[in-house]
Amino acid sequence: MSVSSADRNGGGATSAPTATPILAAQGLVKSFNGVTVLHGVDLTILPGEVHGLLGANGCGKSTLIKILAGFHEADAGSLTFNGKAVPMPLGPRGLRPNGMAFVHQDLGLVPGSTVLEHMALDSYGARTGTTRIRWRSERRRVSDLLDRFEVDIDPRRLVETLTPVQRAMVAVVRAVGGQEQEEALTGEGRSVLVLDEPTVFLPREEIELLFALLQKLKAQGDSVILVSHDLDEVMVATDRVTVLRDGYLVGTAVTKQSTPDQVVEMILGAAHVEISRMRPQATTTGTDVLVAEDLTGERVKHLSLTLREGEVLGVTGLAGSGFEELPELLFGARPLYAGSITMGALKIKKPKPAQMMSQGVVLIPADRKAEGAAQELTVTENLSLPFLTRRAKGWSISWKALRQQALHVCERLNVVPLNIGLVFRNLSGGNQQKALLGKWLELGPRVMLLNEPTQGVDIGARADIMKLIRAAVADGMSVLCATSDHDQLVEMADRVIVLSNGRVTSEFPSAEINKDTLANAVYKGVSA
Amino acid sequence: MTSQTGTPTASQRRVKLREPERFALIGVWIVLIVVFCFLEPQTFPTVANLSNMLSSQAVLLILALGLIIPLRANIYDLSVTSVLTLSAVIVAQLNVNEGWSIWPAVLVALIAGLIVGLVNGFIVTRFDIDPFIVTLGIGTVVLGIAYVVSNTRTISGVDESLSNAVLWEPIANIPIDVFYGLGLAAIVWYVFDFTAYGQRLLFVGQNRDVARLNGVGVQRLRLSAMVCSAGIAALAGVVYIGTTTSADPTSGAGFLLPAFAAAFLGSTTLKIGRFNPWGTVIAVYFLVTGITGLQLMGAQQYVQQLFYGGALVIAVVLSKIIHGRSLRARSKEATA
Repeated sequence: MSVSSADRNGGGATSAPTATPILAAQGLVKSFNGVTVLHGVDLTILPGEVHGLLGANGCGKSTLIKILAGFHEADAGSLTFNGKAVPMPLGPRGLRPNGMAFVHQDLGLVPGSTVLEHMALDSYGARTGTTRIRWRSERRRVSDLLDRFEVDIDPRRLVETLTPVQRAMVAVVRAVGGQEQEEALTGEGRSVLVLDEPTVFLPREEIELLFALLQKLKAQGDSVILVSHDLDEVMVATDRVTVLRDGYLVGTAVTKQSTPDQVVEMILGAAHVEISRMRPQATTTGTDVLVAEDLTGERVKHLSLTLREGEVLGVTGLAGSGFEELPELLFGARPLYAGSITMGALKIKKPKPAQMMSQGVVLIPADRKAEGAAQELTVTENLSLPFLTRRAKGWSISWKALRQQALHVCERLNVVPLNIGLVFRNLSGGNQQKALLGKWLELGPRVMLLNEPTQGVDIGARADIMKLIRAAVADGMSVLCATSDHDQLVEMADRVIVLSNGRVTSEFPSAEINKDTLANAVYKGVSA
Repeated sequence: MTSQTGTPTASQRRVKLREPERFALIGVWIVLIVVFCFLEPQTFPTVANLSNMLSSQAVLLILALGLIIPLRANIYDLSVTSVLTLSAVIVAQLNVNEGWSIWPAVLVALIAGLIVGLVNGFIVTRFDIDPFIVTLGIGTVVLGIAYVVSNTRTISGVDESLSNAVLWEPIANIPIDVFYGLGLAAIVWYVFDFTAYGQRLLFVGQNRDVARLNGVGVQRLRLSAMVCSAGIAALAGVVYIGTTTSADPTSGAGFLLPAFAAAFLGSTTLKIGRFNPWGTVIAVYFLVTGITGLQLMGAQQYVQQLFYGGALVIAVVLSKIIHGRSLRARSKEATA
């Protein structure tokens, strides 16, 4: 998609840097296998600012961060740090020796170790010549560091006993502390901290604590790059934002001078490609197949929903909002803490996969590699598991019938290569997904629960998969599809619910499903 | 339909023929036999030696066949030799010192084995603890019980009817216990390859999440696998006491490593990367061929340790290398 100049200037005014930037990236280009994912992107970070880096999935912001971290090598472009040009390509440690620190989404903390052990580990690496860790002085140093940022945590506590926000704060202080130690050695000054979606798994009410910590960093002259999807927190926490779209720089804006709508427009662009809806006039008036009441799981809170016969119900939201948990919860693959599922006359309090399967419910998990199939076993074996006793003569399973069925599934779904004796992991992602989908369709399910069904799947296979699901729905099957891919929902959903903080915040009937309404509801947590 | 099923089986056959590694162990075994026949023509190729080699391994074979059931589900059962010991000691104590007749004593020994399996399985599945640790601990407890049962003494003089049932020679000086072992291999083979239970075990061993999401009762299956191995280990204990007619608490001590060596070496042949009963049979007799031959040539007792220990490590390394290579070969075929 090309970006017009109007788009580039986006919502707010493009600000001119008033001070010498601590970090300036110019014209960064990066391609993978001939596909360019960064088209000459600039990023300027001023000393003592919190800078938001925004964009939809696949916009290139992860690639940009990974270049700075030394994980990827840029094809072209230049970097200056603290006014000095940095020779490219960067080493494996990226800009860390210059004064950058990175906190990734998973935080990189080991649950069974103490806060002190984590931080001592870093200084152990930074010091030279010593072999013994001096625990007493380490504890004093770590206590001082935590005190300085007013983080009230005993360094001797195990990470697993900390709340999620405490863990995030420990990860931030650890990164900053490690950076300061490095600076003490190199004599460099201020640093830049990158936070890659740190708030995704944090309870809303505690995020302020993390933001307060960022303000303290700012106060001592450090800068923060905050990578985030969540517009609310970006508007609150950042001074300026840079937005990327499809690998292009859209622009940089001063947060205070921009409205949320303007930023959303920068993220999504003004002109969207219209996606044709498969069944735009669909009405969802079928009988209720599955009614879930008051479901509570790890993230989902008191959620109720109804799935009707022959409809595709889309479920979406930001990462961590609970939408990705819902299919597993309904299938009994994750612990359901409260609530019930009703199917016909049967009320299920503690769902189990075997029980749900006997009710005609099947699940296609998002993590195909780890949960979809045993990668080291053959295609036939993987496609046979639910049918072992169904295709049996007495105690003996009928391999002949199972092979025929596997072959039939693979032929019908156009799985390439057509070799059911192949070890499963030799199939590409798209072919794996088609094979698994075909396996479950063979069971003649009433309800199919999908979790990111086309993630990591090539375009051709994606179209096949969508067509297949649609055909099954036309035969009366119901689908619940949890996905962050809005195009997919526009294409196939008859109804969409949007989750935020584990609750349904908006619901759209068929007529109102389009990319704008979904994006608005997801990013802003309000219904359009 | 015939044309549909014809395609994959033909290509499967092609893959099989391209994997000579599957028969490498059998090839080495034959070479070993030929070499020893040349080096020790007086003692090695004799009926007496053949009979001795076959029957001396019956207990180990039965034990190893029991072991591969939990191994298929990726469970290491380290308590099997303790169960073997307990079972042998119970039979001896009840029959010799308590005056029971032999078959009720055997029944009690088998039940004791099953109970140990249930305890192992219950602790492992109820609290989701690594079976390696649980069976190590329970195995030691069971060994302690064997000491208590036997009063730390060697008990000899077990009823001859048990020996007769184990050592009866139906054909060519080969005792019946060898055929018990082969019969058990056939049963395990059938269960592994042709029953739903065997396939589910395989999936639990390969990927518990996948098994669970396909409606397999993962924990119940794991528990049952541990009951199977303990029950079969108790059976091996009964065969042991039948062949030796005496037992003491150290009876099973030497079997643990050979059993694991045979199981892993067996997984490098016939079905590479999978524990399989016929591979285990071949491995057991491959190992005893090597050890017997070397001993006939004058090697000391320690050759056993060298051979079994070395075989276990080499087997694991080999299966890793072969498995990786065959995967690469297949992926090449897939992309071609």
